[in-house]
Amino acid sequence: MSSEQTVFTMEDAKQARKDGKLMGWKCAQCGHTQATPMFICSKDMGRKIETVELPGEGEIVDFTVQKISSEDFINDVPFAFVLVKLTNGVHISGWVPDIARDRDLPLGTKVRYTPSYRPGIMFEKA
Amino acid sequence: MRDVYVVGVGSTKYGKMRESVREGAALAALEAIENSKIDPRLIDGAFIANAFAVTERQGHVGPLVMSALGIPEKPASTIEAACASGASAFREAVVNVAGGFADAYMAIGVEKVSTLDTITATGYFAMGSDFVYEGACGASFPGLYAMLARAHMQRYGTTEEQLAAVAVKNHANAKHNEKAHFQKEITAEMHKESMVVSSPLRLYDACPFSDGAAAAIVATKEVAQRLGGPMIKVAGMGRAGSVASLPDRVATDLTTLPGAKLAMKQALDRWGKPASKIDFAEVHDCFTIAEIIASEDLGFFAPGTGAKAVEAGETKIGGRIPINPSGGLKAKGHPVGATGVGQIYEIYNQLAGKVNPARQVRGAKVGLAHNVGATGGSVAVTILEVEN
Repeated sequence: MSSEQTVFTMEDAKQARKDGKLMGWKCAQCGHTQATPMFICSKDMGRKIETVELPGEGEIVDFTVQKISSEDFINDVPFAFVLVKLTNGVHISGWVPDIARDRDLPLGTKVRYTPSYRPGIMFEKA
Repeated sequence: MRDVYVVGVGSTKYGKMRESVREGAALAALEAIENSKIDPRLIDGAFIANAFAVTERQGHVGPLVMSALGIPEKPASTIEAACASGASAFREAVVNVAGGFADAYMAIGVEKVSTLDTITATGYFAMGSDFVYEGACGASFPGLYAMLARAHMQRYGTTEEQLAAVAVKNHANAKHNEKAHFQKEITAEMHKESMVVSSPLRLYDACPFSDGAAAAIVATKEVAQRLGGPMIKVAGMGRAGSVASLPDRVATDLTTLPGAKLAMKQALDRWGKPASKIDFAEVHDCFTIAEIIASEDLGFFAPGTGAKAVEAGETKIGGRIPINPSGGLKAKGHPVGATGVGQIYEIYNQLAGKVNPARQVRGAKVGLAHNVGATGGSVAVTILEVEN
């Protein structure tokens, strides 16, 4: 198998995000889908993995307001690092800019993926 | 498989280390060599636990440590499993002796990060996360544990006051630990007034960035008996993992580290006794919430009751199951690579009755170490027992 021809990489997913698309990896056998790369499915050990486009909308299921962060986000604090349940049930991580207090982003808040020149996977309130 | 014993331990004081990584590692190893009275030439090799020696532009540090110890011909390799590097190195040393490949082996953990400013250190630590999906999305390590804390609060009603109780207890223990980074008590009020770092976690929920080194020498029963020290056996060991990326784990449960439960089961199966027979534990309290989750994952308390237990004083020295009599990562400090080996240092000294009487767990015969890499991607559990 030539990896150049068949493997959809995290770099490919990053390029797709620039076009506004969130991409995921799906087990062709059982349908388990995740936002991080897999080569063998942890649910049924299936080895036929497909690439799928994920919905760009979802809701916040967990978050933290970051007051201190690494150099890449030094100009963005405070902001929220978030876990989002997309409308198809798949979970993905990301961040929401300009969140200073917990009450600014209650659990269940609807968010939408927003292509950006800024780092990571950025969401905004829908 | 052969029985394995800890024959000697050593540790630098945690905090800010003037020495380089190689010197700190060698000093901790020297203390272990002197305490065990072993001829260094009988040590067959070492595993070095270290995550960030590159901050000194020094890779391949093992052979430099062995040369400094006068045994350059003995092999040394670095083991990296983020914050669980220490216990992972210890495990491989034990495996070498248990498997008959060596009669004596050493684990040395070492870290030096005080040369980095806070922002740079935060960036380095984030490399232990799933960097593309966590660190590069802005998550710091406090941020990742904040996700676990919020999940625990949502599911079980755990409170900030209960998190503070962990910090207050561990600082009180570290006050009597001359090798601790912070030998000072704090109050619940000080916790409450400290700044929010990653909500809901505050500065006083977090362990510090520490420098430090720790070493442990393990050997066969024959070697241990010949050396004449206390007979402290590696009675059980487990090493497991969890889904390492939080977005892939949140669908199941963020209030537990599955790898910790699995590693604990392996260790108990090896030991052949239940968790209730353990006298005290050193657990990986990189953040206050981590100690509460650990106390539940290890089976000391039912899921959702760990926070109430710490508040009720059940994990104090003298309580039902003392946790972190050393002060833990929270107050003793967290020199990443050294931490897991430092837990072995504490347990050995507790079992040998050699710690400051103010924090000695009286009559302890069995101690447990729980060491975690990242948010549970790597977990190691080790049980040491005094053999009469």
